[in-house]
Formats: sequence, C-alpha cells, structure tokens
Amino acid sequence: MERLNSWIARLVFVFLYLPIAALIVYSFNSSEVSYRFDGFTFRWYAELFRDQMLLESLRTSALVGVIAAVLATVIGFLSAFALVRLRVKGRAFFVGAILIPLIVPEIVLGVSLLTVFSSAGLPTGIVTLVLGHVVITLPLATLVLMGAMSSLDPSLSEAATDLGASPWVTFRRVLFPLLRPSILAAFLLSFTTSFSNIVISTFTAGVGTTTLPLRIYSTLRTGLTPELNALGTLLVVATLGVILLVGVAQMRRILAGPRP
Amino acid sequence: MVDVNTPRTSRAAGYLMLLPAVAVITLLVIVPMVVIARDSFAVSDPLGGNLGGFTLDNYAKLLDPVYAKTLGYSLGMAALNAAVCTVVGYIVAYYIATRPAKTQPVLLVLVIIPFLTDFLVRTFAWITLLGSGGPFISLLRLLGVEAQSLVPSQLAVTLSLLYAFLPVAVFPIYASMRSIDPSLKEAAADLGAGWWQTHARIFVPLSASGLASSVMLTFVPTLGVFVIPVLLGGGKDPLVGNLIVTLFTEFRNEPLGAALSMVVLVLMLLSVAAAGLILRARSGSARAGRSRSPKKASAV
Repeated sequence: MERLNSWIARLVFVFLYLPIAALIVYSFNSSEVSYRFDGFTFRWYAELFRDQMLLESLRTSALVGVIAAVLATVIGFLSAFALVRLRVKGRAFFVGAILIPLIVPEIVLGVSLLTVFSSAGLPTGIVTLVLGHVVITLPLATLVLMGAMSSLDPSLSEAATDLGASPWVTFRRVLFPLLRPSILAAFLLSFTTSFSNIVISTFTAGVGTTTLPLRIYSTLRTGLTPELNALGTLLVVATLGVILLVGVAQMRRILAGPRP
Repeated sequence: MVDVNTPRTSRAAGYLMLLPAVAVITLLVIVPMVVIARDSFAVSDPLGGNLGGFTLDNYAKLLDPVYAKTLGYSLGMAALNAAVCTVVGYIVAYYIATRPAKTQPVLLVLVIIPFLTDFLVRTFAWITLLGSGGPFISLLRLLGVEAQSLVPSQLAVTLSLLYAFLPVAVFPIYASMRSIDPSLKEAAADLGAGWWQTHARIFVPLSASGLASSVMLTFVPTLGVFVIPVLLGGGKDPLVGNLIVTLFTEFRNEPLGAALSMVVLVLMLLSVAAAGLILRARSGSARAGRSRSPKKASAV
C-alpha cells in the first residue's frame, strides 16, 4: 500500500505538469491550426509582440498589479507591524478582519464591489480595478509580513535600543534590512495574484481597461490560438522567476506554515 | 523596542497603523456585502432593475427549476471536486511529508509552480492537451480509438477543476502532516498495524485540521468558478458562478444575482463553521487522547 501511495503521488506530479508541457511544446508548433505538431518555430512569439490589443491589456495589468501590490505591501506592513511588534489589543479581531477576503468567495466580493461602485457613481476603470485587487492581495501581504516579523529575534532590536538607537534608527538599520526579503515576497505574491486575477477584474474593469486575463478569456471564447500557447509559456517562465526571487524556503513557510 | 519604553503612545501608533487596513476591509468588503445582502431582498422591476422595498421573491425564484437545476448540479460538482481534491491532496501530502527532509522543499515547489501559474493559462493548457489534434487525441488514435476532441466535455471540466484546486488542498494537509511525530508511524508498525490501520488511526485523525481546511478551501470556491464551464464545458452545464456573472453583467438583474451570491456566501460561512467545529472537537479529543495514550497504544 505504501508503494501504491507513492506511485499515485508520482502520477499526480505527472498530471500537474502534462498540461504545462503540452502548452510549451505546442507554443513552438509551426502548424497554423495547432492540430498536429508540424515543426519548430518562434513565429507565435513574434506575433505576440505585434498584437496591439494584447500589449495594451498587458500594460493595464502591469500598471494595476504594481499599484495594487505596492498598496497591499505598505498597508500590510503597517498592519503586521502594529499586530506583531506593537502588540495592539484585540489582535485576533484585527487579524480575522484582514483575512475575511480569503474566506469570502471571490465572485461574491466581485459582485458586491460592482454594486457599491455603481451606486457610488464611481466609473469602472483603473481605480476600481486597483481597489478590488487591493482587497484580495492585502491578506496575503499581511500574512507574509506577520510571519516574517514574528520569526525575528526580539533581542536584535532590544540590543539596538540598549546601544542608544532611536526607534526610527532601529527600524531603518536593524528591522528593515532583516525584513527586506519578506517585503519583496509580499510584493511579488501580491503582484502575481493581481496580475492573474480574472474574477474580481470581470466586475471592476471598464471599457478600455481590459486586463490581460480578460483579454485572454475573450480570445479563448472564439478558440485557442497558437499565440496564446506562446503567451502561456512566457507566463510559466515568469512564474518560475517569481518563485526563485521569493526563495524556496520562504515560499514553503508562506504556504505550509512555519516549521513545527 | 518602542513598546518597552512607551507602551501607551506605541499602542496609539499601532491603531493608527491599522487604520488603512481597517478602512479597506470596512469600505471595500463589509459595506459592499451589507449592500448586496440588502439588495437580495429588494423588489425588482420586470427588467431586473432595483426598486428597493422588501420581498423574499428573489429567493423564491431561485427554487425555479432553471436555477434549482444549476444550483443542484453545482453543489454536486463542488462536492465531487472537494472530495477528489482532498483524497488526492492527502496522498500527495503524505508522500511529500514522508520524503527525506532535503527532498521535501523540492517536491513542494513542484506543487507551487502550477499553483502560481496564471489561472487562465492553467485552464487553457487543458484545451491544448485534450483538444482536437492535441497529444491526448493523437495518443488515442495511435491506440486505435476513434476520437475527435475531448473539449468540450464533462471529463475536461472535472479534470481542470481538480487541476485548479489540487494545490490548495495539498498545502494545508501537508502543513498539518508535517507536525506528526514520525516515531508514531514506527510505533504503529512495531505494534503490527497495517497501512490502512496506521492511516485510519494516526495520520487521518492527526491531519484532520488540514483535511478540514482542504474541504473548506475547495468546496464553496468551486461553486464560484465561471471560466472552466465556458472554456472546457462549452457552456452547456453552467455553475453558480456563471449564473451570477450572467445575472449581473448581461441580464442586469441585481436583486436576483444578489440573492444567489448570498446563497454562496451563507454556504461558505456554514463550511467555515463546520470546519471550526471539527477542529475544536479534534483538539479536544487530542488532548483527551494524550492523557490516555498508553491505553490507546496497546489497543493498536
């Protein structure tokens, strides 16, 4: 049974990579209709960079992603600092409140945001997209930074204070450098989450602010094109880059909790 | 640091630092949900416009066969997906947790890569894999099976739902399994427990929190999916998510869409409460179990 379990698990790993492998292989397929594999080509990658609508949506997604991720990281940092370092009262309450968006199904968040934006007279566009994306990325950024701050050795900042450093100097010279990798991780995770979001964007994007996933989705409704395979391959490579930047050890702590 | 010297001012500073987050959650999560809860009881004109007032008509309309059928199908698919994800997630999490300490992070990253890959890319990769002329159809032809395309099909929908949610199931189960003392497994083996017995009496109970989280994070969220039924199912069998999108963006029937959203939200709250109850019961019995562990061990 133990061996059967291991074999099933190995098959699952194959299952996880089969679609990605097909995507990559077919992105180099020279056949027009993606029906069978004809030969090797870079053509679809070249066409990708000539698709103005796609590039436009890429710009929108990048802009929204950067703004939302910066906001989520800053707000998440302030919250984590207050909750972990300053030990405000009602910690469980605040943590619970910040984590609500992780529990509420995204589609419910999306439609309720749409309802409120339209009754507030706020036209859908970059602003509504950013607001929606901050909601879903804030809990992630806060969790990452809270984890990082609570694993810091408190004696480090105590030592700095004992040596006469002001709170600000302690923060800038001791805490910030120690937290830099986690701040980067919080930013990158928030950016990735925003960049690939489709549910919230469906309800918060406006005319002229189509994000990349929305563009891909509307293209797909008329059929899969070889360029999309090329685009998908580039996005897989970008994901690998993000994971390498965040670091394997940190990634594991974020997703599977601290070492028992 | 600051809290040692000036506790009071630092507390005040703490609340000030929490202000932006509280503002985001209040204005962009709580208020919108209250508004939508309110809208779900609003009277709608024949075109679906929101007339205010109070009625239960929207909820009654959900019992209409058209909506009830989608709701029933969605609950079935969500239950199936949650069950498959949790069982497969358990198998994978157990496999990872029992590897040498050095291999574990590598295997975990192999689960993280597809998880962080763009959701739409993960979905349309299945069209490439299972679609006409794709590798899977070519393989079937090679084996002499006549097939055109597996997209759209129920199988494609089921597989890509599993693919989309499996990592979400693996992480919490792995996290809870990692804290299980490996010597328990050896002890069980020494006492003559078989594979099934070891799992039924040690690994499943001790990873109950992870299993509960896994069901919670896969069941209700599956209801809200709208991309997969369109792209891989051809739109023939919509999930609740498709219905909500249609009601809000095409029919503009806000009150009815709001009522459907409330159903999803209440189901999610129920599943969170159920998971919470399971966790509390588990931690209670674990504490009790520890005090009488010698007796339990001899029973194995």
